[in-house]
Amino acid sequence: MSIQETISEFIREHFEIGDDPDFNNDVHLFNEGFVDSFGAVEIIHFIEENFNIKITQKDITLFPMNTVNEIAAVVESKI
Amino acid sequence: MIIPNSAVHLLDAAAERFGGKIAVTDEYESFGFDRLRSLGLSIGAALINSAAGGYMAEPVMVYLPKSGKCVASFMGAMYSGNPYVPIAYDMPPNRIQKIVNKLDGRGHIITDYDGKKIIEAMDVPETMRVHIYDEIINEPADEAKIYAILNKVIDTDPIYIMFTSGSTGEPKGVTVAHRGAVDYALWVQRTFGIDENSKLGNQAPFYFDNSIFDIYSMLLTGAEMNIIPEKLFMFPSKLPEFIRDNNITVIFWVPTVMINVANSGALSETEMPTLKTVAFCGEVMPNTQLNIWRKNHPDAVYANLYGPTEISDVCTYYIVDREFNDADPLPIGRACENMRVIILNAEDEPAKTNEQGELCVIGTGVSLGYWNRPDLSEKAFVQNPANPYYEERIYRTGDLAYIDDEGLIMYCGRMDNQVKVKGNRIELGEIECAAMAIDGVKGACAVFDAENERIVLFVQSGSPLVLRKFNNELKRYIPKYMLPGKLVVMDALPHTANDKIDRVTLKKSLSDID
Repeated sequence: MSIQETISEFIREHFEIGDDPDFNNDVHLFNEGFVDSFGAVEIIHFIEENFNIKITQKDITLFPMNTVNEIAAVVESKI
Repeated sequence: MIIPNSAVHLLDAAAERFGGKIAVTDEYESFGFDRLRSLGLSIGAALINSAAGGYMAEPVMVYLPKSGKCVASFMGAMYSGNPYVPIAYDMPPNRIQKIVNKLDGRGHIITDYDGKKIIEAMDVPETMRVHIYDEIINEPADEAKIYAILNKVIDTDPIYIMFTSGSTGEPKGVTVAHRGAVDYALWVQRTFGIDENSKLGNQAPFYFDNSIFDIYSMLLTGAEMNIIPEKLFMFPSKLPEFIRDNNITVIFWVPTVMINVANSGALSETEMPTLKTVAFCGEVMPNTQLNIWRKNHPDAVYANLYGPTEISDVCTYYIVDREFNDADPLPIGRACENMRVIILNAEDEPAKTNEQGELCVIGTGVSLGYWNRPDLSEKAFVQNPANPYYEERIYRTGDLAYIDDEGLIMYCGRMDNQVKVKGNRIELGEIECAAMAIDGVKGACAVFDAENERIVLFVQSGSPLVLRKFNNELKRYIPKYMLPGKLVVMDALPHTANDKIDRVTLKKSLSDID
């Protein structure tokens, strides 16, 4: 499974999105209401554990992480 | 010390004393005190040059992403002799429109190119002049002209108007005077020993009065104010890293953020050797999480501050000076110097020790009232019923409190439908009004679900509704922090005998909702 697929599958399951047709890898997770502000922590926790990487405060400040593809790009730069 | 007529004289003094020392830092840029002053003077000049003239102050809406640019704009408003009105950059245009209307369409808006497009799509009259920040900072500043205007300002003139939630769906513009902000900054400096070596880690949004702590203690003392990137607050476990990496010495945060950081476990993993002062205000701070902070950072001073927006930020404080069990309530303490707090019981008489009543505030920091709403001001700002001898204006907070045997004030809750969700002050009525504006909604009742810390919205509608899509509709009217966490669709809302929506029954039903 690709990084995108892994992240996408986690978000779909964890936030009970199911097969909502509005959801895709470029949709703004927070603005479109798929994930609330508390969910961001859970996503970071998941990628840190699953890919065995560390996301720092600087990563969060410097890189956008609002879509599946954006999150995947940060993960890719770390592994 | 001489109290300045305008708080912007604090910046003049700081620029002279500290010159290029950093005043404000955000994730993109830093301004020294001299730069902040020259930006403020240019912005002030641009406002003056486009002013309509006349006696009354012209409010200056600042509609920019949270940044040092906002602070420079506030300085500019003050240099032009006008109050500033901070507007959240993600505020729905419908709500901005209500604020423009409340200001009678007079004054100024400082924004960027994207913000201008949004304003142009709204109904904003020409008497509300729109300025682009990047353009007006190049305006030549004629200091003689600016100081001629500034010298006419008196310390009872408004310094800012902060719009807070209103129960009828209309935001209320809390108007505060220069002397309130200056008096408060002096108290902050004395109480927490803030000086030019301090680094303030700013969390408070500028439309929230907690930001007064950071901005005015920075101006008064020469401290550096570091605006923490907003998105970091979505990741509380990373905040201690930010404090460490940026050598922050003082934080004044809303308890929700303190709680999230404590719960994230990051406090035991990250050393924050420079952090000396941890103050918080805006809602109840539970000792469970405060104890996690205290255990991991025992050398810091912890302070519980209390104050509604209708005061220049804070009117009581408690420096945490003993151990508390997790379940103990934390006192809100005693009145700040130069503020007086009285508790009035149901008979409007001063309450006895341990008797619960309404917390009321007297002092120089009490707001001038709600902008353009004398009817609301009259109800909340009244003569002290215990004083028949001379005019003594008090602010009735609507908060219930009592004074314990040690003379410490203890907070008990609200007398009305105002709630605090994650530190944000919300009138449930504003959410209900927004819901009623959505097609197909025939009735709406918002209830605060304290156990799950969320708003549950009961909606009367003939068709099924999905929370995510409904919230996307609601977002056109109310800020994100007001969105319900749960939606319950009913064929009919329960009503009481006198035909009001039966909030009590709905509140009781919360335990049956997942």
